[in-house]
Amino acid sequence: MAHDTEVLVLGGGSTGCGIARDLAMRGLEVTLVERGNLTDGTTGRMHGLLHSGGRYAVSDQASAVECIEENEILREIAGHCVELTGGLFVQRPEDPDDYFREKLEGCRDCDIPARVLSGREAREVEPYLAKDVKRAIQVPDGAVDPFRLCVANAIDAENYGARIETHAEVIDLLRDGDDIYGVTVRHDSGPGKHTHKTPGTTEDITAEYVVNATGAWAGQIGAMADLDVEVRPSKGVMTIMNVRQVDTVINRCRPKGDADIIVPHETTAILGTTDEEVSDPDDYPEEKWEVDMMIDTLSELVPILEEARTIRSFWGVRPLYEPPGRGTKDPTDITRDFFLLDHAERDGVSGMSSIVGGKFTTYRAMAEEISNHVCDQLGVRASCATAKEALPGSENLAVLEEGMDDFGLRSPIARRSKQRLGSRSQEVLETDDPNPVVCQCEGVTRAEVQDAIEQSGSDLNAVRIRTRASMGNCQGGFCCANMANELHPEYDEETTREALDELFQERWKGERHALWGEQLSQAMLNYALHATTMNRDNDPASRTEGVDYGVFDSGAQTASPARSDGGKRTDGGDRADGSRSSSDLRSDGGER
Amino acid sequence: MSDAEQPMDDHVPGEEQGFEPIEVFPEAEDMDLRPGADNCYKCSTCDTNCPVAEVDDEFPGPKFQGPEQWRLKRQEDHDIDESVMKCSNCMRCDSACPSEVPLSQMHNTARAEYVEENMSKLSREYWRNRMLSNYRKLAPLAATFPRTANFVMGLSATQWMGEKVMGIASEREFPEFATQTFRAWWTERGGNDTSRERARAARARRGEETENPHKRIAYFHGCYSNYNTPEVAKALVRVYEHLGYAVMVPEQSCSGTPMFANGMLEDARRAAETNVRELADAIENGADIVASCSSCSMSIRQEYPELFDFEGTEGVAANTWDAVEYLRVHEDLKDELEGTAVDAEFAYHAPCHARNQGLDGQTVEVLSAIDGIDVEDVGDSCSGISGTYGWKEENYETSMKIGEEMFEHMEDAEATTGLTECPTCSMQMGHGTGYEITHTLEVLEAALVD
Repeated sequence: MAHDTEVLVLGGGSTGCGIARDLAMRGLEVTLVERGNLTDGTTGRMHGLLHSGGRYAVSDQASAVECIEENEILREIAGHCVELTGGLFVQRPEDPDDYFREKLEGCRDCDIPARVLSGREAREVEPYLAKDVKRAIQVPDGAVDPFRLCVANAIDAENYGARIETHAEVIDLLRDGDDIYGVTVRHDSGPGKHTHKTPGTTEDITAEYVVNATGAWAGQIGAMADLDVEVRPSKGVMTIMNVRQVDTVINRCRPKGDADIIVPHETTAILGTTDEEVSDPDDYPEEKWEVDMMIDTLSELVPILEEARTIRSFWGVRPLYEPPGRGTKDPTDITRDFFLLDHAERDGVSGMSSIVGGKFTTYRAMAEEISNHVCDQLGVRASCATAKEALPGSENLAVLEEGMDDFGLRSPIARRSKQRLGSRSQEVLETDDPNPVVCQCEGVTRAEVQDAIEQSGSDLNAVRIRTRASMGNCQGGFCCANMANELHPEYDEETTREALDELFQERWKGERHALWGEQLSQAMLNYALHATTMNRDNDPASRTEGVDYGVFDSGAQTASPARSDGGKRTDGGDRADGSRSSSDLRSDGGER
Repeated sequence: MSDAEQPMDDHVPGEEQGFEPIEVFPEAEDMDLRPGADNCYKCSTCDTNCPVAEVDDEFPGPKFQGPEQWRLKRQEDHDIDESVMKCSNCMRCDSACPSEVPLSQMHNTARAEYVEENMSKLSREYWRNRMLSNYRKLAPLAATFPRTANFVMGLSATQWMGEKVMGIASEREFPEFATQTFRAWWTERGGNDTSRERARAARARRGEETENPHKRIAYFHGCYSNYNTPEVAKALVRVYEHLGYAVMVPEQSCSGTPMFANGMLEDARRAAETNVRELADAIENGADIVASCSSCSMSIRQEYPELFDFEGTEGVAANTWDAVEYLRVHEDLKDELEGTAVDAEFAYHAPCHARNQGLDGQTVEVLSAIDGIDVEDVGDSCSGISGTYGWKEENYETSMKIGEEMFEHMEDAEATTGLTECPTCSMQMGHGTGYEITHTLEVLEAALVD
């Protein structure tokens, strides 16, 4: 029976995109489907730590060794997604000495370069550390942009002939007896680039082999074919600070606990995290105390955080898994190792494997192992090249850095643009057309936005993850209308509006967890701007029902005693003036 | 009205904990001001108040120079955009900001970094800027031979050379050097001792206690009133003595204003160190500090504590005053001026640096108590010269464009004499209108002192 594709990968996160690239590079025909945008699941909701392995050096040395190996590979193949910040495990006076020693020994056992700094030396590296920190272990932690890394994998997979379909939700697994041979997907707006307002379609995609790389959602996919995948989703909160208080990854050096890491990420710093099991990866409470705890606890390490501005918070769900029978109660004790569940071996259903567990830093090694398995299943002999071959954007970075000009941009804008685009800078930024800055907070120019639109269609969230536009302190308040404007005239007015709404809504989702102090002022200003310049508080054009002219004041009238609202204002206050005419009561109950 | 409580908006989050990140940095240029960007919600009020941005479309404005540029920076990055050199350091953005963003501190620090890391130390621009900002170093020479200096500076050949060789606008006329500096006059007059005697006599005349240790001020005259307009400095001495104050004139260096504006932070640091040491001594001896130049007082009150951390910096900043402001707070000036008369009309311009200290309304209010005087405020625009800024060939045009509004309003006013507290605003006012320009203290002297 002829199949549409050799391998079908479900899930556009780091694992799925990594597998798609690996297999495509080995010459296989690959299709990847993703429910939303690339990174929409757990990949886009992590703190961006490129592990040195130090965090696992005591509890899980196998993972630690794997981390340091992959850390070194990613620096080579994904230079434009990685920042070599270095990291510190910082001990406060109340943290146990024993653990500090174990950590140091663990790092040495795992060949993780580690050096002890005195409290004073640690503060020379990071001046905002608390004055009473005792000492620190310096390790080669780094920061990684999960969006760019994941997108670069997808782009490269496409370069090798893969088909990548975003906004294509799996609604059914195609199963014939004990064989899974494909899926049915629902395209949000038809296949190809995402375009709003295009009617949805469904498509059956058949494949010789299906890889379920949907992480925390793997159980839901399995259930479609009556397979039991015991993934235990566990949520964690991350809080984004407006500026980088630290330029080094700061870990708290104590056995385990919530709120023990700060990762400098692009222009921001991300505080993390918690670990709490949830039943549904799409529906779990996002609670204020979780954010408060991040700030309160991490202020013990970096006191300036207490007063610093938070721009948003977000939650991610880890795809934790443990083999049946272990029965671990506390999710923090569940291993971070990954598991390849071959459903043929496990359930007697052939044609599909599921991947669960694992962590971002080792995505490539995971993808390699899974790809080996897939090749075995298909009888393909081809070896993995992903550890050697640089990702698009990271080719010859050292050579390029010297020769690159500023493309007529102001120097901080040029620097940030080049850091994001890497070796693609020239191709994207060199233009004869005017190239104004579209997002001022992050320094993103029109050329970069246009390049992203070319890749991803009318989806502005896809533009956001590629460029960081709208991810700065105004959270899109000033720029998302300008980003939407870049869609026009290729996309019509209706599509553009819809894309704008979707982006702004997504920004608000995280910003609403930061509404105090300066970010509250920012939100108020954003509201006022959007209300007064775009009518976005109450746009008559967006009303479906007609305007009820009867509710408008028809001019000066003699006082009418008729009142229907009992003299109460809709906001709960008493009216000072009891003689207003009833014609000022609006049908929507509001007063303008 | 007066700024007696010194509500300077230099709040940076984190200071409350008594936390001092600065101690590990050897130099202020390495100061990490990224946290200051937290206060900015991008309202752009600073941009709409920036006089340079108003006339120069190429200038990105204070919001970019300050919070945006800092936020995009990483600790190891050293590539401040060159546009920071177009900022005139008028510091209007500081008072425009509704949210306490430390804008001018960010600009000063970024500019210093730009000059240090990106400007060639062999370039004409660097040496021209260095010379302009260290005017105090050249002035003593000129003051030794003032007539020769004035003659040479006035030659058109000198002006041509100035522009071609140094990049100094040939349209500008160099300020004349006085034939006797203020400090020479002060020494000749008998220094602090004479002043103490005169104050004692004045107190006796006024029916006050003859011994009053509280009526003691240390005068920060700055460079300009020493070398170029000693009549302003003399007016201050006479007015204060008339009101019973003993005046001390401590050793002093340039306030640092022109050095900040040119990114010469090391030069400014040396000058500030001397000033803080000498002024702290004076405060120790019971004096308050007053300055006649609004940029000098601005610099000591705001920039010193923002950029330096010598011992006593905060104390000196907290005890420094504008000379007229000090009298408004400590004396009943209205009562003193009652019955005095000066027959004159003035077109008054409030300097940006006075405005930033909350002093823009005081001159018109104080002088209105004098009979026969008519002072008209010519509006809140910037004069455009901003110290050394308008002296540079490349800024001359911008500088005059900014000044246009003030020139027009001066022409429209009845008066044909200008009035201001800032030496360089005064140059610009004279340059744009041809009027004589005088200082508020000189008017007070005419009213109060026989």
